[in-house]
Amino acid sequence: MSNEKNGREVILSVKHVDISFEVGHKKRFDAVKDANFDIYKGETFALVGESGSGKTTLGRAILRINPCSAGEILFEGKRISGKISHEEDRNVVRNIQMIFQDPAASLNERATIEYCVSEGLYNFHLYKDEADRIAKVDRALESVGLLPEHKSRYPHEFSGGQRQRVGIARAMIMDPKFIVADEPISALDVSIRAQVLNLMNKLKVEKNLTYLFIAHDLSVVRFIADRIAVIHRGEIVEIAESETLFEYPIHPYTVSLLSTVPMPDPIVEKSRKHIVYDPSQLDQSGEKRELKELRPGHFVLANSKEFAAYEEKITRLEKERAGR
Amino acid sequence: MEADNNLFEFADFDELESEHIVAPRYSYWKSVWRTFFKNKFTVGVAVLLIFIICFALIQPMLSGYSPIITPNINNADMKFLKPSAEHIFGTDHVGNEVFDAVWAGARNSIIISFVCTFINMLVGIPIGALWGFSKKMDRWMIEVYNIISNIPFLLLAMILSYVLGAGMRSLIITMTCTEWIFVAYFIRTQVMIIRDREYNMASKCLGTSTWTMILRNILPYLISVIMTYVSRQIPSLISYEVFLSFMGLGLGTTNASLGQSISMYTSYMNGYPHLFWIPVGVLAIISISLYIVGQRLADAADPRTHM
Repeated sequence: MSNEKNGREVILSVKHVDISFEVGHKKRFDAVKDANFDIYKGETFALVGESGSGKTTLGRAILRINPCSAGEILFEGKRISGKISHEEDRNVVRNIQMIFQDPAASLNERATIEYCVSEGLYNFHLYKDEADRIAKVDRALESVGLLPEHKSRYPHEFSGGQRQRVGIARAMIMDPKFIVADEPISALDVSIRAQVLNLMNKLKVEKNLTYLFIAHDLSVVRFIADRIAVIHRGEIVEIAESETLFEYPIHPYTVSLLSTVPMPDPIVEKSRKHIVYDPSQLDQSGEKRELKELRPGHFVLANSKEFAAYEEKITRLEKERAGR
Repeated sequence: MEADNNLFEFADFDELESEHIVAPRYSYWKSVWRTFFKNKFTVGVAVLLIFIICFALIQPMLSGYSPIITPNINNADMKFLKPSAEHIFGTDHVGNEVFDAVWAGARNSIIISFVCTFINMLVGIPIGALWGFSKKMDRWMIEVYNIISNIPFLLLAMILSYVLGAGMRSLIITMTCTEWIFVAYFIRTQVMIIRDREYNMASKCLGTSTWTMILRNILPYLISVIMTYVSRQIPSLISYEVFLSFMGLGLGTTNASLGQSISMYTSYMNGYPHLFWIPVGVLAIISISLYIVGQRLADAADPRTHM
């Protein structure tokens, strides 16, 4: 089948996707340019970038909220971008769910938790009778560490972490295959971030899920992601296995992004140098850049001249690491 | 210094225990009533209002007042009497009780304004909600709004009263046939404000239909603003009715109405001012108390006041 690559099953592939928005009269702003990557079944794929880089826009395009202006998105080999039939649209909703950034904003304040969690069940009539629905809601709440007694409560009565777990329960009750997690912990208190991340990892194993994890916090991404894509101004500049990216960052933007990760060690912190990303150090010849495979599974955005330089750089880094 | 370990022991920690919410259960409507009844003045006005409305609905049935029944028209002793214990509001130029005339008028004015408000809301809210939601509908609805809102109201009222004749039915048609679009426009703007909030996007991701979203995600947030709108609409429709009846476009001379009474008694303002001021006073009391109760109810319906 076409959705196999490197011996692994591809669940979602984003093919040369452009997303642009109309700004005023006949002007367009390109939020995402030529995004091209595959996500394998069962992995956590992280999309990392600064605010405004287009990472959320791309996540929303997968959920069909933002339309693609070029390219296509395939889910399990079937196109889900652009015009698709009502049935296929329902299928996307069933199988692709989202966890939102701000748990305070993404829950309906005037509805009880019971309604919030069973909303998807109602829409697809995924229950036999009332008792079955209640049982499903109870089970979903339990799976995220909440209590059945919370059903009759309203979202504003919960803490941020609890609310985010309600958001997770609401997505999980649909039994999705793929989850887009849009900065699920950046609005949460530091003390409960780990709790939510662990919960997400637990559910991933239990329910055999695949995550697209959108984040700006590299230390979190290192903890949760299998592969990382770095996005800058709508362009994906580097994709690699999580450890490879941290060991051998090649693109200057990735290097600069990694240099901003704070270390919990005052001595290291003191000598740390921030590397400022300067696009003028890239090749200015105007040759078109594209994602090229530098090492197996390690892609970097480059034209031919830059690619040669990156090749040299990674060989040097590999030697350095080997000699150590 | 060494701490004695025997003095300490591990405290039990139950993960689920920390998930309990100790605060009492929140109920939206209970909180609305609690907030509303907290203010003694509001409760007083509400009681007065209910009393007035009940009185206006019941008293005309007992008195059987009609402006065309004038048993005392030839009895000069019964005309223009000052208010007294026997004739509470006095008598008018045809020897009828002003008390009966005012309450029969109040009854019709209240019925008309409530019915019209109900119709306007019933039509305006669903259309406005859909209008605010659908960008496609907005494009042509805004043109419809521009056309309808530019029709002069008085002209429309005059033409309709010529075409349909005077009476309660035609007055209700006059005050609803264009008024609903202003309600719809107001709701449209309110819906647009909260339409793109994240929880609506979340509902969309769960496959919720537009109508369910309007019913469960949008309208509950609008209860308070709709109540504010209603509390202004009812008194304003009462004054519309008074105005149209005063202009001779309203209920016609065979039906009692506050506007009718005011217009009829204006001619005696110099000699017998109580004839004019009593219906005006009753009108003012009804309008103001309706407005106060409506406003306080709208405030209480806003969950920000529940804390």
